[in-house]
Amino acid sequence: MSPTSTLSSQLTSRNPADETAPVRIAVKDLNFYYGQFHGLKNVNLNFHDRQVTALIGPSGCGKSTLLRTFNRIYSLYPEQRATGQILLDGQNVLDPKIDLNELRARVGMVFQKPTPFPMSIYDNVAFGLRLYERLPKSELDGRVEDALRKSALWDEVKDKLKQAGTGLSGGQQQRLCIARSVAQRPEVILFDEPTSALDPISTGRIEELIEQLRNEFTIVIVTHNMQQAARISQFTAFMYLGELIEFAPTTKMFMNPEKRQTQDYITGRFG
Amino acid sequence: MDAQNPILAPAPAGAPSLRANRVRPGRRVADKILITASTAATMLGILVLGSILLMLIVEGVKGFSPLLFTQPTPGPGTEGGGIANAIVGSMVLTFLGIVIATPVGLMAGTFLAEYGRGSKLADVIRFLNDILLSAPSILIGLFVYTLMVRPMGSYSGWAGGVALAIIATPVIVRTTEDMLRLVPSQMREAGAALGAPPSHVIKTITWRAASAGIVTGIILALARIAGETAPLLFTALNNNNWFNANLLGGIPNLPVMIYQFALSPYSNWQGLAWSGALLITITILALSVIARIVVKDQRAR
Amino acid sequence: MTALTEQIALASDTRSSRTKPSRGLDRAFHLAAVSSAMLVLLVLAGILGSIVYGGWPAFREFGFGFVTSSAWNVGTEQYGALVAVIGTLASAFLALLIGVPISIGIAVYLTQLCPGWARKPVAMTIELLASVPSIIYGMWGLFIFAPLFARYIQIPVSNVVEGLPIVGTILYARVPSGVGVLTAGIILAIMIVPFVASITRDMLDQIPTVLRESAYGIGCTTWEVVRHVLVPQASVSIIGAIMLGLGRALGETMAVTFVVGNANRLSASIFDPSSTIASRIANEFNEADGMQLNALMALGCLLFVITFIVLIIARLLTRRAKVA
Repeated sequence: MSPTSTLSSQLTSRNPADETAPVRIAVKDLNFYYGQFHGLKNVNLNFHDRQVTALIGPSGCGKSTLLRTFNRIYSLYPEQRATGQILLDGQNVLDPKIDLNELRARVGMVFQKPTPFPMSIYDNVAFGLRLYERLPKSELDGRVEDALRKSALWDEVKDKLKQAGTGLSGGQQQRLCIARSVAQRPEVILFDEPTSALDPISTGRIEELIEQLRNEFTIVIVTHNMQQAARISQFTAFMYLGELIEFAPTTKMFMNPEKRQTQDYITGRFG
Repeated sequence: MDAQNPILAPAPAGAPSLRANRVRPGRRVADKILITASTAATMLGILVLGSILLMLIVEGVKGFSPLLFTQPTPGPGTEGGGIANAIVGSMVLTFLGIVIATPVGLMAGTFLAEYGRGSKLADVIRFLNDILLSAPSILIGLFVYTLMVRPMGSYSGWAGGVALAIIATPVIVRTTEDMLRLVPSQMREAGAALGAPPSHVIKTITWRAASAGIVTGIILALARIAGETAPLLFTALNNNNWFNANLLGGIPNLPVMIYQFALSPYSNWQGLAWSGALLITITILALSVIARIVVKDQRAR
Repeated sequence: MTALTEQIALASDTRSSRTKPSRGLDRAFHLAAVSSAMLVLLVLAGILGSIVYGGWPAFREFGFGFVTSSAWNVGTEQYGALVAVIGTLASAFLALLIGVPISIGIAVYLTQLCPGWARKPVAMTIELLASVPSIIYGMWGLFIFAPLFARYIQIPVSNVVEGLPIVGTILYARVPSGVGVLTAGIILAIMIVPFVASITRDMLDQIPTVLRESAYGIGCTTWEVVRHVLVPQASVSIIGAIMLGLGRALGETMAVTFVVGNANRLSASIFDPSSTIASRIANEFNEADGMQLNALMALGCLLFVITFIVLIIARLLTRRAKVA
């Protein structure tokens, strides 16, 4: 049984996985609980430097949960907890002594729905910068411009930096949120279904953008869209019912999956 | 009205007897009574508001003159005089009240919406705040009398301000919490994901996102305390002269002035009471309308 | 690979140059929020504490007799709460009797009958009634309503019922001045209408349109939809709203002080002047001294207990409705 042709056609030449790239994030025996509910079960997984890793799987499989452990955003909610280890450059993220705010400055995150803050475009991008660095105005301007350029938004907003970020279109808002993360110069950027609220054209631009960002950042993306995973990622992890079923270079995953469940899922014969 | 009432729509041809059977006269009468009664009830409400405004305008405009805003309250049965001291005193008391209530209410509302989610303490405080919101204001007057007037040995503007603040605070707590809850949690997550500490997320993101609603709450609180009379009777009392800069002793204020003058037998005092009543009602109605417009702006966004 | 290590080294460089936002400020902010919230608790406890403290001598002096005695004599220092308590309960009860049907009528009109263009202005007018200060209601009641009420209601009704059993007592005005318990009840009714009406309207609006439409769809009249579908659906919260209105009516001070007549007399007629707890406190507190002051504080205690029981029930009812 071979994977569908639509999927394989998405596996373009641009995603050769570099399996020799150093490991940026190492997940070891990760378990996650929502109160009594066991959301992640013994997950072990490595994320390679400057590669895009896609997390796929059916709704409720734990892919977003996994993503939300990397910057410990889950700890906003007291009933959620994680055990095990997540090593970011060798440092355990789950260590209670770690400075959460600093961690989050190192690991950026882009959400499902665009979340522009109620302030100007400029202030949105400068938000994270102002938190951690005291920069002179000229340098701050430079960093904001740099981030907006990297997010392919500069040309569209350079004349209206003082206008409200909420006035942009959905796709622009999402790129603004990416710029906001990029400005902080994180090491890793997490994307939680970043295009699910966008139209196809905006989706295309975000995907191109992710491809460019890969040159500088390690990227983890949760997506429910397998074509998207095939288009933009080098590695893919398939999850099901809180367990990691299979992890492999994207090409291999979609052409020649090892596990039966993976094959069923990517050929759409699931459950 | 017909469109909302399928019964009145023409029945299919050939079924007139069926129709007559189903729609017993009793049903129609009950329906007619309901429609008439509820329309009448609404008309009554509008009539009362109209009548109050008419009364205030007819009686209050008579006394309007520049003197009203420049002269302090006169002695009984004399000529001239105004209510300038009461106007300024009311502004001072209301200002004091809102200045105390705003930070407390804002922070308490923030606690309930941001820090206290799911905590027992927050549930209890939310419940008691709702109770305080509709507590009889005269009891608040008794409390502040015991707390401040008795120990300080005199009525004072400070006591009046505190009493008004206690009335305004629950209003601000409630609206602040409600408005902060409308801010999507992804907004907070996005702030936290950039490494901002909780207080920074609240101050720069959630407060800002809810700002129009919070301002509405403050305006509503202002409207509520501007006309409060009962708690001022035992705290700020009243005074027919200009007040001390240290706000000790009785502070002239519009509501208590209106109360005392309206029930007095002197026609010049009664006239001033009407003018004061017109002034205060217009101010409060204007504040309420402004508050509604601010909310509309927020929803439109 | 070397380039990569450099990159990482660079990254850690920028990391170390990051200045952390102050943790102390964050803590201070949290603390300020918690203590502000605790202040609400403290104020409520303070209100109860201060009036219990102030009223205690009166309770000790008169015991349970304080509640059952109708005496209020400053000269002989004899005080009892009965007249004021009955006046409070009677005026609030009358307010509900008159105000609740009107409120529900307004809510039904606004949600079911009002043409779309008029809905907002009419709703706003009704809500504005809630922001008119109570002292203005007092003036309106005393100077506009009471004379009309005396001339067109009290005098004719008194003439008709004079000598009749029961109604001849309840509806007979010895001095048809227009002020009294019923007048207070009517003014209170007007004051609670905007509250009860707007909560009821919100509750009716929350009922799914599908439910309403399917009722109309099987041929119900507006009356039947309201009676059998809407009111049962929203009944718990409507009762909560009514209790909230009751809480307001019980504690309302200024408007009542203007129109209740302020007499310490036990009368079976609702046309006769009487007192409520709040009006008596407002009238006498500033000139009171010694035991009279304590007795007024004790009256405050009774008012606290009555209103808080009502308000707690009201909040519990409206809360449960929200969860459901």
